[in-house]
Amino acid sequence: MVEASASPALLSIKDVSKAFPGVKALDRVSLEVHGGVVHGIVGENGAGKSTLMKILSGVYEKDSGEITFEGKVIEKTTPVESMHMGLAIIYQELNLVNTMTVGENVFLGRFAESGGRAGVHAKARALLDSIGCKVNTHKLVSEISVSDKQMVEIAKALSFDSKLIIMDEPSSSLTNDEMEKLVKIIHDLKAKGIGIIYISHKLDEIFGFCDVVTVMRDGHVIDTKPVGELTRNDMIAMMVGRTIENEYPPRPDCAGEPILEIKHIRTRKLKDVQLTLRKGEILGLVGLVGSGRTELVRALFGADKVADKSILLDGKPVEINSPRDAIALGLSLVPEDRKLQGLLLGFSVEQNISLAVLTRLTRFGFVNSKEETEVGERQIKALNVKTPSGRTKIRSLSGGNQQKAILGRWLEMHPRVLVLDEPTRGIDVGAKYEIYLLMKKIVEDGGSIILISSELPEVLHMSNRVATICDGRINGEFDPAVASADEIMAKAFEFA
Amino acid sequence: MSAATEPMRGRVSTHAAVTFLKNNPIFVAIAILAVITSIVEPKFRTTENLDNIIRQFGVLIFAALGMTFVIMAGFIDLSIGGIISLVAVVTVTQIDQVGQGPAILIGLGVGLACGLLNAILILTAGALTQAEALFITFGMSLVYGAVALMYTQGVTQFLTYSQSDISIFNAINSGSIGPLSVSAVMFLIALAILLTIERRTYMGRTVVLTGGNKVAARLAGIPISRSILMIYAISGLMSAIGAVVLASRVTLADPTMGTPWMTQAILAVVVGGTALVGGRGSVLWTVFGALLLILLNNCLNLLGFSSYIQFMLRGVILILAIWLDTAKQNAVSK
Repeated sequence: MVEASASPALLSIKDVSKAFPGVKALDRVSLEVHGGVVHGIVGENGAGKSTLMKILSGVYEKDSGEITFEGKVIEKTTPVESMHMGLAIIYQELNLVNTMTVGENVFLGRFAESGGRAGVHAKARALLDSIGCKVNTHKLVSEISVSDKQMVEIAKALSFDSKLIIMDEPSSSLTNDEMEKLVKIIHDLKAKGIGIIYISHKLDEIFGFCDVVTVMRDGHVIDTKPVGELTRNDMIAMMVGRTIENEYPPRPDCAGEPILEIKHIRTRKLKDVQLTLRKGEILGLVGLVGSGRTELVRALFGADKVADKSILLDGKPVEINSPRDAIALGLSLVPEDRKLQGLLLGFSVEQNISLAVLTRLTRFGFVNSKEETEVGERQIKALNVKTPSGRTKIRSLSGGNQQKAILGRWLEMHPRVLVLDEPTRGIDVGAKYEIYLLMKKIVEDGGSIILISSELPEVLHMSNRVATICDGRINGEFDPAVASADEIMAKAFEFA
Repeated sequence: MSAATEPMRGRVSTHAAVTFLKNNPIFVAIAILAVITSIVEPKFRTTENLDNIIRQFGVLIFAALGMTFVIMAGFIDLSIGGIISLVAVVTVTQIDQVGQGPAILIGLGVGLACGLLNAILILTAGALTQAEALFITFGMSLVYGAVALMYTQGVTQFLTYSQSDISIFNAINSGSIGPLSVSAVMFLIALAILLTIERRTYMGRTVVLTGGNKVAARLAGIPISRSILMIYAISGLMSAIGAVVLASRVTLADPTMGTPWMTQAILAVVVGGTALVGGRGSVLWTVFGALLLILLNNCLNLLGFSSYIQFMLRGVILILAIWLDTAKQNAVSK
């Protein structure tokens, strides 16, 4: 550790900031990475890890700050240029051409200078051998396993003579054996003096083979420390800990009879899901990306076809095979991705609100436009949506007001169960508070809410009960009034 | 006070008119074409020529009105050329078998069935992108065209050689109701029905919602599959009506006669301003798109341009229309 820090940094990031409309994704982030060191970066979803990597690779442009790589200041770069500089990124969703061979993928776009087809395969063979990968270079990438694909990516990075390799959650799709292989390769690369940034939210991996770890949260670097100086609990506390005062209304009282009971839902991703929601309750659901929380919601709502499931509503079994079925039963969903799954950007606020009750506004096939306007106006007023008029295109509203309009869409049908998937993502604090108040009102009026959020404080403050989902299983249940954030996170990380 | 506001109001309305024309350059184009044509050819302003223009509307306008629904929903239908050919030959050959009225009904049924078949294939294939629908309907266009060829053994069927009464066809071609020709009345009725569906009904709303954002619409309980079935059914039926009008006009049915109308119909829809990506458009706009195309043909013919140049100009106009629309949308979203 000591000798590594003494050498000049391979990569140095100073005060780098990046803002997207409505969000400060990175706020004066500083970081140094040395050759021959495995540098872990951890943080909750949305902490800014991916944004930082995308700036390094040239996908995004930084707003301010300075990045130096091997002593040279990098102003603006493109993904191809950064590869050639010796900075390789291996993304979670691997970037290989499935219809080409392994060898061709390693030297993609560089056949001529690599000695044609024969040369490409020979050189790829040598590179793959050097990391102990046996895969045939003439095989198509579509025919090889995920772990072999990862090896191909690493070989590709080595072919550029990379000084720094960034791995973005490489283990998410690997089995234990494959993971061991990867760890061995990481040790080999490290011995060659190559710097490695290892992004993960699996703490075992950070403690297993990282030398240094940087914890990020909300676009800030909280701290960078040698792994040996930290305990697991320290790290979780650094990841989730933030002080909150008066960001949340007081928790509503709960809770009555069970209204929705999930007896089981089984898919490839979901293994053992049992969950009961009570009348007037806010149930928080905490899980990492990939834990199965989105799949659970989609299966419940009929958005994905799932054959093997058993769901009771008011104690009676119900069939939900499409969102339409779900809505008819009084279920509703505010989806995770507002722009892609929630909004119809080219349509008016009013038309966006009336969507879920459109059948109610229809008589003999005709939509009653007067009633539609009334519905729109009622919800705009009730939710305090800031819009010039109901006929304004929803595209021109701010994220918070768009989200309120989507909530209005569902409130108009008086849902019995409302599922909110990341309801406050990318929304400013004021609008957040309004949405919290609304949630409270919904349960007071007898509705029930399942709240999914990556923001643990939000879940802790709003929920009557918190369940954790990990690796497709509901593996814990907590009373947020007494449970600590660390306890819940530890459970969410259990199989991680 | 009123004296002070008068000129103001005048200026405001001029300003509004300029903005309107800026956003809808199609009206400027139509006006320019009309002026050029009437200068070159004084006969242009005669009622005879106007009637001629409406008659040229014929197959194009019916096919284009149906196509508008498909494109508004964010899909496309390349099969209508095949459908028009098939419906035309089936209708004309059936006259002697079942009589002219039933023959027309059979023809319309065939068109409707072809449209539904397209939709069923698209739904079964799980094809939810425009590109997939494009290739599926292109494939079906080849199928329908081939069926038409097999059905007739490639022989052109003459309407006038028919042993039976063809008075309905004659009426469609040259009859009139009051001051309007029969085909113009058919067009107005079709337009009124489709415009009502589009603007007032739940069905019409699901079509634009499908084009606007399929994923979000589905998650809000909008029946996307039903909307896909409907747009292709309408497109098939409207093409079939177009086929009957076309056969009446040229008094024959040829197994390849539908081919050119597919591109023309798409052209009319896009030039009219309906967004190729879906979610925005109107059958009313398509009427103006078709009008522009016909005026352009008319004008170029009068000016003595060769048909090769006309083909090229159609291509240019299509690209121009898409370009203008994209530019407008980019300006809106910024």
